[in-house]
Amino acid sequence: MDYGRPGLPRGARPEGGSAVMTSLRTRKFTPNRQTKAAILFLFPSALVLVLFVFWPIVNSLWLSFHHWNLMEADRGFAGFANYQELMRDERFWNSVVNTVYYTLGTVPVCIALSLGLALICNVGLKGTAFFKSVYFLPVITSFAMISIIWGFLMDPDIGLLSYYMKRLGFHMPDMLRSTKWAMPAVIFVAIWKNIGFNMVILLAGLKAIPVSLYEAARLDGAGPFQRFAHITLASLRHTLLFVVIISVISSFQVFDQVYVMTRGGPLHSTETIVYYIYHQGLELLNMGYASSMAWLLFLVIFVITIVQLRIFRFDQTD
Amino acid sequence: MVKSARKSGKWWAVVLILAFLATAFLAACGKSGGSGSDGSNAGQQITLTFWNGFTGPDRPAYEAMVDEFMKAHPNIKVSMDIQPWDTLLAKLPSSLVSGNGPDIAAFNSNLIPQYAKAGNILPLDELYSSKGIDTSVLPESLVKQMQYDGKFYGAPANFATLMMYYNKDLFAAAGLDPEKPPATWDEWTEAILKLTKKDGGENQYGFVIADHATIPNWPILIWGGGGDIVSEDRKSSLLADPKTIEAVRKWSDLVIHHGISPVNLTGAEADKLFQTGKAAMEITGPWMTPGFTEAGLHYDVAPIPVGPGGPVTLADSVALVAGKDTKHKEAVFEFMKFWNSKEAQIKLSVQSGFPPARTDLADDPELAKNAFAAKFATVAADARFYLGGLEKANQIDTDIFIPAIQAILNGQGSVEDVLQDADRKLNELLKGN
Repeated sequence: MDYGRPGLPRGARPEGGSAVMTSLRTRKFTPNRQTKAAILFLFPSALVLVLFVFWPIVNSLWLSFHHWNLMEADRGFAGFANYQELMRDERFWNSVVNTVYYTLGTVPVCIALSLGLALICNVGLKGTAFFKSVYFLPVITSFAMISIIWGFLMDPDIGLLSYYMKRLGFHMPDMLRSTKWAMPAVIFVAIWKNIGFNMVILLAGLKAIPVSLYEAARLDGAGPFQRFAHITLASLRHTLLFVVIISVISSFQVFDQVYVMTRGGPLHSTETIVYYIYHQGLELLNMGYASSMAWLLFLVIFVITIVQLRIFRFDQTD
Repeated sequence: MVKSARKSGKWWAVVLILAFLATAFLAACGKSGGSGSDGSNAGQQITLTFWNGFTGPDRPAYEAMVDEFMKAHPNIKVSMDIQPWDTLLAKLPSSLVSGNGPDIAAFNSNLIPQYAKAGNILPLDELYSSKGIDTSVLPESLVKQMQYDGKFYGAPANFATLMMYYNKDLFAAAGLDPEKPPATWDEWTEAILKLTKKDGGENQYGFVIADHATIPNWPILIWGGGGDIVSEDRKSSLLADPKTIEAVRKWSDLVIHHGISPVNLTGAEADKLFQTGKAAMEITGPWMTPGFTEAGLHYDVAPIPVGPGGPVTLADSVALVAGKDTKHKEAVFEFMKFWNSKEAQIKLSVQSGFPPARTDLADDPELAKNAFAAKFATVAADARFYLGGLEKANQIDTDIFIPAIQAILNGQGSVEDVLQDADRKLNELLKGN
């Protein structure tokens, strides 16, 4: 028997009872021209991904079970000690609460507003193209820059925004320096920045809805609200699901604007999970502990995404 | 024919990809292997890598110093990598541990214990014992700060003291003599209250105190009241000491009930308030003089008014350290020696406004070229390092001290309760050391 021999030419099937098995094997192990080309083309980027993304991810799981101070070479095995400490760490749970607050503050409002903007843009008024690019402008601007500028605008003593609000008779609170108002300020800036991105995706979804559906509904006597609820929203379901999942994931990972605008302060009132991971890992150099937090965050996002998929009932029949 | 042409085309693609990968790998390997050339031969050209974070307005002064060194030592080339401190400190530990660190690095001297304990930087005792750097001309606090566990690990890259900046125009407008800044806590409090105004929305702050992301301000106020954060032997906390509590109570009371400063201020925000004339006084280091002068501000600096604890201010120093895997120890020592020489220190002081890291230059006529540098040098004898010599200095500051001060200022507990709680946490941390 010679099945399983490497280098067996394609098409040359050995005879006998095991022919089917062998043919399956040979097909598995000798990829055709196209597959070979695909492998070659994918190889460089796959190598980079494996080396710099997948391997560190796997490695961080290993790290999360070890004590490792970045300053030292040896990493002692810790078992579940990092995770146990995490359960007791008040500051970690504070950062979880803050992250949930941020997510609940940004995602629903941002999606509602961007859906509104997308609907307006979809009507086809004059100048829509100009406004579309205006709404999209914050998306392509770096978060660091936006955060610095908004921080400056909202400064109670020398900020432009608070100056004009004062002239209009509103007394603005000390936004970024108040434990109560810092988070709303960060949320506001995040919404302002992300609206454009969601709007463009939702707009693409709106454009894909066939006009015939609306015409048919109108003939059947459906009012504007019914048309919106039963045609627009129903047809946008997949687009909305995408936008919701992407928004939730990215807001659970919020870091840059917190880092630039408030540094997690005042008094940890805007400290999010990723910011605390950064603090533990790169400021205090507790890499093992930071890794365990990162994996807990991964699990949380994983579970939330699955729940979202269930809620929207996104399955094969859809 | 056609088939073979196609085939060779594909092989070209493979060759290209392999060539690309090979260059990438060679480049990566070349970088780590490059510094391996032997530097023991004095006649040979050697290159020292020097990582630092001098990205501020004083950057040209440091670059000029390095150029000066290379001119004096034609066979040593210093290749500088200047990046923001945050970035530098995030990558330096792992670079040193993995053997890819620089020959020389600069970072805040408070980090020396952490790096020294892990063995990532070399002891410099030979440099000091050979009088390459003479400890008798260094400010006393600095000599201690450069050591860990009885050994020298750092050479001063710069030395800063903090002073009270005050706005002369605001002083005059409030009926205070701009040439006679307050000298005691009582005079100070009186002046601060006079300079604090609240009409409608337009606030003027008498004395802005930054509490986070700043050169420490609160420790100076605590020292001024006779208290401290850790004991002299660094084994126990003094946060619940009656004098510490009293000092924090006095100043937090002025902030909360008299509005002398906004709460939760960063150092940069305090500087901005002072620069725009919204604040009459602040405490900071010599690095702000170029910016304030350029902004046309009418200001001066004075020693921090003396409280019940006697005259005191904060000292801060960036240290030069030698990476554990350097192959050019002699050249590194030469560089540190040059940096601390009289000529170099004078030049650096005149250009940056920092006081010299030597005590024998206070009367040097050259130093008078920069009036601010001379003034900051006068308080060097009273200057103390904050949490010096503690391996967990960073954690104590960011996770215990700053949150405690902020909790008090944000009204989340009484001064005693918050400080007692912080005291307990600090003692726990110090025991674990």
